[in-house]
Amino acid sequence: MISYPLSLNYSLAPGWLEPFVSGLETGAALARKCDACAAVSFPPLRVCPCGATDATWVTLPGTARIELRTYGSDGAFGLVRFDGADTRATVRLVDIAPDEETGRIMASDAQRPMLCLTTMTAKEVSHG
Amino acid sequence: MHDATVTVSGAAVTPFNRRRDGTGLRDWAASAFDAALAMSDLHRGDIDALYVASESDFFHLQLNPASVLATELGLAGVSATRCEGGGASGQLAVHAALRAVQSGAARHVAVVGVDPSASSLPGDDIRTLYGFSFDAWTDGMTGLTSTALYALSYQAFTESHTVSDSDLATVTIQNRSNACHNPGAHLGRTDSAEDIANSPVIAHPYRRLHCSPLSDGAAALILSDTSHLPTTRKSAPRVVGAGAATDHMHLGARAKPGLFSAKTRAMQRACAEADVTPSAVNYAEIYDAYAGAQLQGIAALGLSGDVIRDLRAGRFAPNGACPINLSGGLMGQGAPVGATGVAQTATCALILEGRYHPDLQPQTLPQIALADTHGGICTTSAVTLLAQGARAA
Repeated sequence: MISYPLSLNYSLAPGWLEPFVSGLETGAALARKCDACAAVSFPPLRVCPCGATDATWVTLPGTARIELRTYGSDGAFGLVRFDGADTRATVRLVDIAPDEETGRIMASDAQRPMLCLTTMTAKEVSHG
Repeated sequence: MHDATVTVSGAAVTPFNRRRDGTGLRDWAASAFDAALAMSDLHRGDIDALYVASESDFFHLQLNPASVLATELGLAGVSATRCEGGGASGQLAVHAALRAVQSGAARHVAVVGVDPSASSLPGDDIRTLYGFSFDAWTDGMTGLTSTALYALSYQAFTESHTVSDSDLATVTIQNRSNACHNPGAHLGRTDSAEDIANSPVIAHPYRRLHCSPLSDGAAALILSDTSHLPTTRKSAPRVVGAGAATDHMHLGARAKPGLFSAKTRAMQRACAEADVTPSAVNYAEIYDAYAGAQLQGIAALGLSGDVIRDLRAGRFAPNGACPINLSGGLMGQGAPVGATGVAQTATCALILEGRYHPDLQPQTLPQIALADTHGGICTTSAVTLLAQGARAA
């Protein structure tokens, strides 16, 4: 057999997604609000389903409702809808109990833009 | 305008498995191509173009596999193109070859799908790479796995379809049982529903036995302008329709994340070209990366108005009105990604012609067969319809 170890270290420029990527690094949900129809996408869409490309970055509250979840040896993940967004998002669930229906975005400690949802504080829940 | 009828003059599939015999993708590609060429009654010099399907350079460390295989296959000098569309790569290569013949740009085209998805890298590394089959900067960076995304989509599907665990078991058992009669299959098994229920949870509700394996292997086709074929192959099965479509790359941006809408659109386009309806299909190879994906696929393709009712009634069983995945599908036959769509089309052609594995060959030849492949979470869909040569003549 031919053994060929290979280590790659990518430097990926986020381009127009930079506000979204920077937001994830700090635990903020930066979404795109369409200037034409006001639809809010998170993760952001460059072209709105209405066809418009002009949009404004908006910061969502960062809280989300879990619609579907999966768990197992691959980890825990969910299909969630962030408050203020018109689209759903797929997220990693971190320290969220099986009966919790909501969560908030958290900053990833990994050096990459992970979209993670974690448990809300009692204060956040009471204000939810 | 040139508009040739296109015949599958040659078709071959190597064994799919985890190779431990020292052979590599060059061997597998050559084996599949040589067998397909022999079946076609053509010669190497007759081949005008080569289309190669391979999902990822990461799998084999070859950034330009089409040119390399052109030489390996004795075709140096022909036009050589690599086609890539995730899991749909093989079927997209079939489409590219089909259009080349239809347009008159080529008389005889070779399609080779190949990938070393099992043996070249550790399984966990391959699964990590598969995680980048979606939007790498959102789902990929989040670490979302293929199994997790499919599990979420399947759960959404069950919101509009009453599916039980036993239905997932039925699909799993049926495909792997079929694979027991396919001497080239990776995972012919006779697991019970209890075995499946006791296998580890990978991403609920998917357990290990609901998932397709990582495989090595290759498949090849020769697509020909029927008018330029020797008499011996003029009545071989024809490709009568092909359609491809995409869905939104983000599962969460889809209005109905449980529906494989790209598959519906692709099927509509293929049926329009073939001038048939989905109800005309009486054999299908469906992309069953996971057990539930097969059910989602059947529904999206319009092969059944009530997929769960028809599954329970045996419509898709080997002796049913529309058998599905006699090869074993991805779950049973295996899944060397680039080869998958090519192998599905080859299987359909061999079954239409009555040349498939004897224990699996339907006694009554189907009239219309469907090869259904997709990439991502059905983000890219490509389907191909084949018919008896006599019907299309």
